[in-house]
Amino acid sequence: MFVTDCRREFYDVIVSQRVLLLVASDVDALCACKILQALFQCDHVQYTLVPVSGWQELETAFLEHKDQFKYFVFINCGANVDLLEILQPEEDTYFFVCDSHRPINVVNVYNETQVKLLVKQGDDLDVPAYDDIFRDEEDEEELSEDESDGSEPSDKRRRFEEEVIERTARRRQRREWEARRREILFDYEQYEYHGTSSAMVMFDLAWIMSKDLNDMLWWAIVGLTDQWVQDKITQMKYVTDIGVLQRHVSRHNHRNEDEENSLSIDCMRIAFEYDLRLALYQHWSLYESLCNTSYTSANLKLWSVQGQKRLQEFLADMGLPLKQVKQKFNSMDMSLKENLREMIEESANKFGMKDLRVQTFSIHFGFKNKFLASDIVYATASLMESIEKEGPETTNFIKALDSLSRGNLDKLHQGLDLAKKQLCAIQQTVASCICTNLVISQGPFLYCSLMEGMPDVKLFSKPVSLCLLSKYLLKSFVCSTKNKRCKLLPLIMAAPMDVEQGTVIMVGIPPETESSDKKNFFGRAFEKAADSTNSRTLHNHFDMSIIELKTEDRSKFLDALISLLS
Amino acid sequence: MEPAEAEFLAEKELVTIVPSFSMDRVHLIGGDLGPFNPGLPVEVPVWLAINLKQRQKCRLIPPEWMDVEKLEEIRDQERKEDTFTPMPSPYYMELTKLLLNYASDNIPKADEIRTLVKDTWDTRMAKLRLSADSFVRQQEAHAKLDNLTLMEINTIGTFLTQALDHMYKLRTNLQPSGSAESQDF
Repeated sequence: MFVTDCRREFYDVIVSQRVLLLVASDVDALCACKILQALFQCDHVQYTLVPVSGWQELETAFLEHKDQFKYFVFINCGANVDLLEILQPEEDTYFFVCDSHRPINVVNVYNETQVKLLVKQGDDLDVPAYDDIFRDEEDEEELSEDESDGSEPSDKRRRFEEEVIERTARRRQRREWEARRREILFDYEQYEYHGTSSAMVMFDLAWIMSKDLNDMLWWAIVGLTDQWVQDKITQMKYVTDIGVLQRHVSRHNHRNEDEENSLSIDCMRIAFEYDLRLALYQHWSLYESLCNTSYTSANLKLWSVQGQKRLQEFLADMGLPLKQVKQKFNSMDMSLKENLREMIEESANKFGMKDLRVQTFSIHFGFKNKFLASDIVYATASLMESIEKEGPETTNFIKALDSLSRGNLDKLHQGLDLAKKQLCAIQQTVASCICTNLVISQGPFLYCSLMEGMPDVKLFSKPVSLCLLSKYLLKSFVCSTKNKRCKLLPLIMAAPMDVEQGTVIMVGIPPETESSDKKNFFGRAFEKAADSTNSRTLHNHFDMSIIELKTEDRSKFLDALISLLS
Repeated sequence: MEPAEAEFLAEKELVTIVPSFSMDRVHLIGGDLGPFNPGLPVEVPVWLAINLKQRQKCRLIPPEWMDVEKLEEIRDQERKEDTFTPMPSPYYMELTKLLLNYASDNIPKADEIRTLVKDTWDTRMAKLRLSADSFVRQQEAHAKLDNLTLMEINTIGTFLTQALDHMYKLRTNLQPSGSAESQDF
């Protein structure tokens, strides 16, 4: 059921209990977790934090802890499957689910007691009506009672005939109802998409309790920006949510204008920026950033020689000397940096890049530290998925979680370096895929498979990095191909995951169009194809459109998909 | 005594807060606290004020002396005089550090206050070192310094006592005394 009063039905209930937090492995979940942890620390709530990266880990964690805890909070996991069936909890266990995955499973919506969903008010969910999906058990009993009635021999025959007619009519009705139910459920669950960021939902909770701080607002901003960077929400929703956060930002950060009571420089300030969407450009050189951001690299077609020439023309059009542009951004001449944004926007319009500026926020504390929200997203995501194996499996998660606190700047800088490497690797892989025509059209979708020998292919054995790579590849492919039909196709990307076990990780993303609603049908398609071919697949990730399968089963799986989708 | 111990003692000082919760009077061994009503200022020890501030349950009000003009006056006064001038609080350094670390958003012009307090501290430390130096050099028997705070005494205490000990040992070994025994060959 949906929680209407977050404070009374969720927070006040758990504030006096021990709670288990199960947190998924993406930046939005990390931010929501940080906000909730800050609230717990204020009120001395005892909690245990368990990072989970898939359904199997979720189940193991639940089985381990179910004797000690009665209250479980799921962050960015658990809304899109039937939780009660998978986890089989006791009667007095309560699940609070704060998840941005949609569609929400109907059993979770209509369960009155054990599953409580924390969803932002006003999010339209299109959940089918109760009567269309669930039929009460009483109707079945009526049928069986009627059958055992009628033991008198005199009117038995006539009554028997009447009963038979009634029964067949009822059965026909039942079958029609079931067919309609199947159709409704199929429509409802066919497309996967994302709702409001969980970090924003948690921030709303903090705001309702008047315990919201600037720090929590910043984490909510990073959570929303993560959804935008990963292309999970539409542009409209992003702009609307930015507007909502902008009101909170002005409320918290309006004190700087006052001469009398100026804040210490060490206090954190958030500012609204209409800034360039070049990735990490303030911590890198402008040239590198232009080369490694998917938007500019795809529009200028930087994998070809002509693309490089266009880049030089672009820079010359703005009057930026190459030497300046290739050095660290902080060391560029002040005269060039002053009007940089407007200059770049003007020139970008001439070269066909109309959306080079995007509405976002920046954080500022101390004399040296200024970061854009997207910088933090890239840094945290690359820390979380770094392939260096040091210590137990959860160290990467904990490191990424720590890097979100302002006191751990060294971890943040480490994350920024890793993010730079990741972006470079992505661009090189995209360039080589396009130049060697690795993206082939299979009919209803495009397909690209990374070979084992390619450089940096280990980086792409993690789901978030692979998703990022596929989105950039699709954008670049759409700009590079002349085939109009291919531009509207979705993409499936495969990369080797574990060489010893012979598994491959496969990701499906929706097509790249101007007004796409980011709805992904690959989740269900993958399930059906796996069933029909008996392939050995593992649907472990919370996003149904990411699966792992054995390398040998790959071709028959793809054939099944092609026949399913055409 | 360690600086941390001096800071611990400083945390007993009273400071005014404006709580955002309500609670009845609390009876502790050291005294009573409260009652707390939202929006009404109340005086509490610094240790409680910092704890409540970290849990976002109150707003701190800076002490009267933590003000740019007053601190400028104190600093200028200190620079003019040769001896130590009285400080607004016997724990001014610890309180400044604690309040500016945890509650700098409640204190206006926090950066300037930090600079002014540091300037005053530097001047006083310079005077202290000068006087300790002259004390050791001229082999005085006793000295009296007014208006020193615990933290300042701490910084010089160990060094001064050990230095004087050494001086004493050296002095007694120089003087020929009847009880000094020469080594047997």
